[in-house]
Amino acid sequence: MSGADPDLVRALGAIVGPRWVKIRDAERRTYEADGLPTHASVPMVAVLPGSKAEVIAIVRLLHERRVAWVARGAGTGLSGGALADAETVLIPLTRMNKILGIDPTARRAVIEPGVVNARLSEAAAPFGLGYAPDPSSQAACTIGGNVAENAGGPHCLKYGATTAHVVALEVVLPDGSLATLGCPQGEPWGPDLVGLFVGSEGMFGIALEITVRLEPVPAAVRTLLADFGSVRAATESVGAIIASGIVPAALELLDQACVRAVEASIYAAGYPTDAAAVLLVELDGTRAAVEAETMMVERFLTEAGARTIRSAETAEARARLWQGRKKAFGAMGRIAPDLVVQDAVVPRSALPDVLDTITEVGRRYDLTIANVFHAGDGNLHPNICYDHRDLALRERVHRASKEIMEACVAAGGSITGEHGVGADKMEYMPLIFDPTSLATMCAVRRAFDPAERANPRKVVPTRYCREWRPEPIR
Amino acid sequence: MADDSRGGFAALDPCVHCGFCLPACPTYLATGDEADSPRGRILLMRALERGELRADDPALGQHLDACLGCRGCEGACPSGVGYGRGLESARERITATVGLPAAARFVLGIFARRRWWRPAVTMARWFRETGLARRFRGPTRTGFLFGMLDATTPDRPEPTPRPPRARSAPRGTVALFRGCVMDGLFDHVHEATRRTLIVNGYTVVEVEGQVCCGALHDHAGDRAAARALARRNVAAFLGQADWIVVNSAGCGALLKDLGHLLGSPEAEALGRSVRDVTELLAAAGPVTGGPVELEACYDPPCHLQHAQRVHREPLAVLDAIPGLRLRQLPGADRCCGSAGIYGALHPEMSRAVLDEKVAAIAAASPPPDVVLTGNPGCLMQIGAGLGAADLPIPVAHPVELLDRSYRAAGWYDPASPS
Ligand SMILES: Cc1cc2nc3c(=O)[nH]c(=O)nc-3n(C[C@H](O)[C@H](O)[C@H](O)COP(=O)(O)OP(=O)(O)OC[C@H]3O[C@@H](n4cnc5c(N)ncnc54)[C@H](O)[C@@H]3O)c2cc1C
Ligand code: SF4
Ligand code: SF4
Repeated sequence: MSGADPDLVRALGAIVGPRWVKIRDAERRTYEADGLPTHASVPMVAVLPGSKAEVIAIVRLLHERRVAWVARGAGTGLSGGALADAETVLIPLTRMNKILGIDPTARRAVIEPGVVNARLSEAAAPFGLGYAPDPSSQAACTIGGNVAENAGGPHCLKYGATTAHVVALEVVLPDGSLATLGCPQGEPWGPDLVGLFVGSEGMFGIALEITVRLEPVPAAVRTLLADFGSVRAATESVGAIIASGIVPAALELLDQACVRAVEASIYAAGYPTDAAAVLLVELDGTRAAVEAETMMVERFLTEAGARTIRSAETAEARARLWQGRKKAFGAMGRIAPDLVVQDAVVPRSALPDVLDTITEVGRRYDLTIANVFHAGDGNLHPNICYDHRDLALRERVHRASKEIMEACVAAGGSITGEHGVGADKMEYMPLIFDPTSLATMCAVRRAFDPAERANPRKVVPTRYCREWRPEPIR
Repeated sequence: MADDSRGGFAALDPCVHCGFCLPACPTYLATGDEADSPRGRILLMRALERGELRADDPALGQHLDACLGCRGCEGACPSGVGYGRGLESARERITATVGLPAAARFVLGIFARRRWWRPAVTMARWFRETGLARRFRGPTRTGFLFGMLDATTPDRPEPTPRPPRARSAPRGTVALFRGCVMDGLFDHVHEATRRTLIVNGYTVVEVEGQVCCGALHDHAGDRAAARALARRNVAAFLGQADWIVVNSAGCGALLKDLGHLLGSPEAEALGRSVRDVTELLAAAGPVTGGPVELEACYDPPCHLQHAQRVHREPLAVLDAIPGLRLRQLPGADRCCGSAGIYGALHPEMSRAVLDEKVAAIAAASPPPDVVLTGNPGCLMQIGAGLGAADLPIPVAHPVELLDRSYRAAGWYDPASPS
């Protein structure tokens, strides 16, 4: 049993019904990790609210009792963000999964936070609309989690990440009060509070109702698969395409290790396993524009040294090409039982060199590093495969991760493109932010949550908050 | 890692905790609780293996028991996690420690013993034939049981047809696996299986001494009972035919896996000769018959699509029926909540899982004339769900429709020219 105060458990049970308060060891343990199981932490209690009123009542209760809490969606996050410890209550929002309304004329949808990303696009499809942000985890992750992480995805190259698609939010703040941010019609006056909340990683409150923009499904879509004899050639073609002014809907790269894992899985997409890298390019828009851009892109790819280019136009053929990319991360389990997925952004022009460095780091530490990433945004995802039971190996993985991060920062990049900081990237924050910036982040956090009870001990290293002054970097 | 002493637990090793299996899991969709999700259960099984949770931990037992064993999660897992193998080992370990729940022991006992099974079937058939099952069916727990029984009614009484003749090149001999529920309540499906196989060039032989396949026992963690039944079936079927044909997806999945269950070369060889009826029919074409003008929805049984990985063949069989308009509804690929004796042990979760399916059928436009699925448990579960929702839509096995198409072609008429 958990060490939770029985009185608190009773009070939570009175709000949601005892069945939805999880205090037994086995049950709490199933919430010990998110998509990055290198971080594990068993919550004091998990409480699953079924309605907005219940969430508000829970947050109020915890505020009164001075108990910290963490919101959780589907737990697919890759930064250890949705984890709570033995003093902290976890609030999974998965039961709140209703689409409250779709307005096809205004192209808006209002949803509860637990709605799974892919479900929204399915529900909007009959109206010829879709929800653009498509993280690779879209089949499982919740839009509440997307809002908290400002999730991106392959198609965010053209359409922008989550923040570009959320127009209004109803949130419960850490003190239990209710606030409406933004407005469904568009830009409200004053500071962009929606923009502030999106990407706040669960520190500013819980999103209860989310109003998003829906986009018309494009008239024509073409997906190209090009394969290359070297990773460098593939990344150079990315530079050429973007420099030409074409904005593909998506531009994704998978290297050989990754291609092989995918091809061995049930999501085999027919990628050539002897290629050093494959590039997926998607073009969408009017039929004429797609035709013209396809010709240009094919030329850039050939000039950069593509060995073959395949083109998929039917929905099924495109879906198959995409399946492989979207399930690539999961397929890594075929290489080794454990996996660290890194997430960093570098300027596109630095891609070829940074990738060389990553290969070199892998060789030096004798690690399998598989790359699959949003090449168009320079958003890298090196996946390091290992076995957690080997302690020495774990240490090597940790050191290699750190070196890769440092190389990305040295190339003018950042430590996270879309997975957030959570618990995992906290130690890297001082690599890119000076103490004053970190202190400012703490100040903003405290404006929402003076006691730091919402998702405590994550994102901003606490020492920058506790001591309210600049401090030398370690 | 290839450590045999770890049994099925080793099959869980590739899990990287990505969560792709969550939306494929009917119990997680029903509760939203990760303890009812594949990924959560994998954590529980790992903890059980390592001894961090005890086999008699009630919460562990509750959430592993609540698993349907449908293996929908395997079908979604990019990493190739062998969830089913892990579950089998976990359940075996739990059963060894705490034993089977009394309710499960009672239900399974009926299946394993002819002298309990026969009267149970006779009584069930009486309720069905007198129409009482239809009268009492409904949404309550008892009503649901009657609904399940009613769903086994053949769709319309037909005069005994003339035995057909082959309309395709000879393809070898097949022994029909009769099973327990299929034999007791779905003999009309067996008849349809025999006739359609004959039309497609197979010679069907009957094998005496066969017993229940033991899948229900195996899933519940009673491997000893499952093995005992399996041994009797191996003895009965060995050397009797080129293939063993099964029209119940659950039995087929277990029989294909006989080698794993018993570990003997004979069992291995016999397991390899097991085919779902749709596999044999699809291999033969199948022969096209007369038109059957119907709107039909196909619902693949979990033990066919996930456990046996048979996807295409049932559709190929149905595609060979002229006039049939076939659809798969949203969520058709998800479990119906029947899952062997699961419905009897966890009625609440079972119904919660079923409700989604029934809602999809109710919302379908145009409404289907028939819902098709190739497993007795699913036929009864979906049939009872439709009955409880007052939807007058019958359920049927895909071979029944092919059979109807051959009947429509006149191939079973006494007067038909040979
Ligand atoms: C295979 C795989 C592929 C992925 N691909 C991508 C990708 O392409 N792009 C990308 O951006 N990410 C990707 N991710 C990461 C992850 O899916 C996203 O971060 C996603 O947004 C997390 O959603 P979730 O529902 O799982 O949230 P969780 O992991 O449960 O939570 C994430 C954070 O959100 C907070 N939170 C959850 N719900 C709420 C709420 N209602 N209000 C306030 N805070 C909340 C939590 O406290 C936590 O800090 C991938 C992950 C996996 C496993
Ligand atoms: S999809 Fe596979 S690897 Fe991913 S969490 Fe589920 S079982 Fe594990
Ligand atoms: S077998 Fe079915 S019920 Fe069990 S975890 Fe897998 S998907 Fe869920």
